[in-house]
Amino acid sequence: MKVVGIDHLARVEGNGGIHATIDGKVVSDVKFTINEGPRLIEKLVLGRTPEEDASMSPRICAICTCSHKNAVLRALENAMDITISRKAYLLREIMHMGEFVESHSLHTFYLALPDFLGFPNAIAMASEYGFEVKIALEMKHYGNHIMKVTNGRFIHGENAVVGGFGKWPTQEELLFIKERALQFMPFVFKTVDLFCGIDYPGVPVAETQYMCCEPGDDKYGFWGDEILISTGEKYFRDDYTKVTNEFVVPHSFAKHSLYNGNAYTVGPLARIVNLGERLQGETGKMFQKYYNDSWKTNPFYHNPSRALEIMFAFERIPELVDEFLKLEDEAPRKEYTPKDGKGTGLVEAPRGLLIHHHEVTDGKVSFADIITPTAQNAADIERYGHIAAQALLDQGKGDEDIRRHLDIVVRAYDPCISCSAHMAKIRNAPENDWQLRLAEVKDQGSPVFIGIGNPSLGDDAAGIEMARAMKQQGVENVWLESEIEENDGLGTEDNGQPFILLDAVDLQETPGKVTLLPMQIVLQNSALSHKILPIVSEVLNPRQMQNAYLLGIQAGSLVEGEGISPSVLQAMERVLRQLSN
Amino acid sequence: MSDNNKLKIGIYELTGCAGDALLILDCEMELLDIFNAVDIQSFLMAKSDNIDGDLDVALVEGSVSTEREIEELKDIRKRSSIVVAFGLCATVGGIQARFSEEEWTQNLKEVYGDTEMTHTKAVHSKPIDAYINVDFYLPGCPVGKDQFLNFFTRVVQGAPPESYPVPVCVTCKYNENDCLLNKGIPCLGPLTADGCGSVCPNHDVPCYGCWGPAEGANLTSEYHLLQEKGFDIEAIKKRMSNYSGSKFQEFFEQFKNKESK
Ligand code: SF4
Ligand code: SF4
Repeated sequence: MKVVGIDHLARVEGNGGIHATIDGKVVSDVKFTINEGPRLIEKLVLGRTPEEDASMSPRICAICTCSHKNAVLRALENAMDITISRKAYLLREIMHMGEFVESHSLHTFYLALPDFLGFPNAIAMASEYGFEVKIALEMKHYGNHIMKVTNGRFIHGENAVVGGFGKWPTQEELLFIKERALQFMPFVFKTVDLFCGIDYPGVPVAETQYMCCEPGDDKYGFWGDEILISTGEKYFRDDYTKVTNEFVVPHSFAKHSLYNGNAYTVGPLARIVNLGERLQGETGKMFQKYYNDSWKTNPFYHNPSRALEIMFAFERIPELVDEFLKLEDEAPRKEYTPKDGKGTGLVEAPRGLLIHHHEVTDGKVSFADIITPTAQNAADIERYGHIAAQALLDQGKGDEDIRRHLDIVVRAYDPCISCSAHMAKIRNAPENDWQLRLAEVKDQGSPVFIGIGNPSLGDDAAGIEMARAMKQQGVENVWLESEIEENDGLGTEDNGQPFILLDAVDLQETPGKVTLLPMQIVLQNSALSHKILPIVSEVLNPRQMQNAYLLGIQAGSLVEGEGISPSVLQAMERVLRQLSN
Repeated sequence: MSDNNKLKIGIYELTGCAGDALLILDCEMELLDIFNAVDIQSFLMAKSDNIDGDLDVALVEGSVSTEREIEELKDIRKRSSIVVAFGLCATVGGIQARFSEEEWTQNLKEVYGDTEMTHTKAVHSKPIDAYINVDFYLPGCPVGKDQFLNFFTRVVQGAPPESYPVPVCVTCKYNENDCLLNKGIPCLGPLTADGCGSVCPNHDVPCYGCWGPAEGANLTSEYHLLQEKGFDIEAIKKRMSNYSGSKFQEFFEQFKNKESK
């Protein structure tokens, strides 16, 4: 496996998909795919002036355009040591609030609510919920209006520039924005009650790590100079690569952005979990009223978190306008001469932590690195999708139920608007699935094999016997479970090669059925993990765990003192033949 | 037309930022009327009950950047009487179409390494008319709201859309802005198609060219104008190439011709 930087595909506005692969009683794989082509924006800005960069980078995403604008400007201003005026700072925050109002109201009312009320879309929902649909449209329009007044246009405005702004909005325009915010408050209360009152599906439930910007000063907010993790650690902006190490990994096992070797979540729920206690005013009261520990383990609580953030924005906008108007007039932008430097800008986009890192050499952009929220959420979207699909499968639910549920799990992350409209597909694993996967795993380097099981418990000897046979054939790097104990770990040098555990498994399949599963999936599946976990946690570090797999053969009989049954023996031969290829 | 006598419309997104499709949803006050006036058969961003049948008008956003998109696009063409290139990416390929095939391949490798993507293969980004015939073009990154509503109303009534032959510069003069070029700021208004109402110069910010090259721009006089004002022509070209996509070669051929005269 290698680290090759950012995945632009993960800018998910547009066309994406999620596919669960079901292998009998196990969901063996969930893949979140992006069907759009790469745009290579980090390469397109190279050699351009900082101001051209600030114009082009936000083109990554229309709905997060102001977040990208604020992030790239923060990065470039940090790189070139430019400090913007307090007035410009406040106006950028107003602009950011506009994007939150627009994006969150679009998502909650138009994309998410029809799911929970049982309509195919918001227009159909209008027949019964005419009032909500109409006022929510006005709310969305209001968010757009703020972006137009502050940044020049709804989408891809250019008024925010390096050093500040092109022009200040007029006092009338800003007072209008403040007045409208106050007028919306009754509907904002209704919004919070509505989304906090929905009975969200109880599946999937699992813990995760939450990550967001640290706004500083014990405040709630949408940018900062540090990354805050729910475990309590903080990282300064320039150290972002320590947090979001992104991997492009072999396709069918999907790509991951991991922290400490594990998936993590960014977005509204991450902010509410990490910072919710800091909320003041009416939003603080609503948080105290509705928030509880179950929010932390269920991604559907992204929705009430969005509602709370809508309220936060509506309370914050009048404060920002007041402070802006109180300040003395001054030039909207600081003039600057480009100078060399490297800078990172952290902001919270509506869908989560957004990181821009830009470098300037001789007045031109010499390096750019952009990490989008959905790239970071991809691993957790797959993980929660997996947990949900497995839970429904265990309950005996059919493909259509699983498909629908995956669809709304993905949508909870608001990965983008178009791909959340409909994207789930179910795929049944083909009989030779394990062979295809094995070929991919072997492409990553020559694997280390570990045979495990109880040699005197019937078919449970399969893993040990296969490892013995391989040793006899002279295959290198083959270990038996017992040797690991004696040896106190593996003596093999770590050069990024994959690990394959050989074992007999019980997945209630026909005896002799072969399955190859990534270790993360094995550990999520209680039928498999109890036996495997003690071994892998002892010998593999978290990074190696990312590249470890279980090759399992369905056992037939597990009787003490008996030999291996014929169907399992045949399967072992098939596996050995494949391994020696 | 469908049984209810409404025009059948499909809105499709290829590779881009989804800004043009979002722009339609940004017509909040007109949205319910739009959905009532026509029969929207497919609009992935807004609804889940989509049908891929015959269409009167298809609006296609985004550049063609994967093999699967080539197939999708050809299928849309087959099913539709009118195909509209909707936004800068569809019209000129967008910012992602600037690289030559060679540069693109090199950059793709640097970003993604040797990892093969299985679900679909990436191809060098191109505008949609590289693969199909296009009936109308509506440029802009993203298209303007007024421009879209104007277009929509005319098409619903069976009239051809208006064209926007003038560059941003002309509108900017109508808006009585102080010309940025006089202040030494490199503005692309003279070379860029209008449709935005010169919004950037209205804010004292130079035009970055996001509507793509103007069709009728008088390149000879623009060339001399920029040169007289002391601008570095190479820097202007580089700037202009940002939003000209795959059409910038062609555009600068003309520019160069003027140069040699
Ligand atoms: S500011 Fe730009 S668009 Fe306006 S008149 Fe000058 S060159 Fe033309
Ligand atoms: S002025 Fe130029 S850069 Fe600005 S929106 Fe119009 S065409 Fe785009």
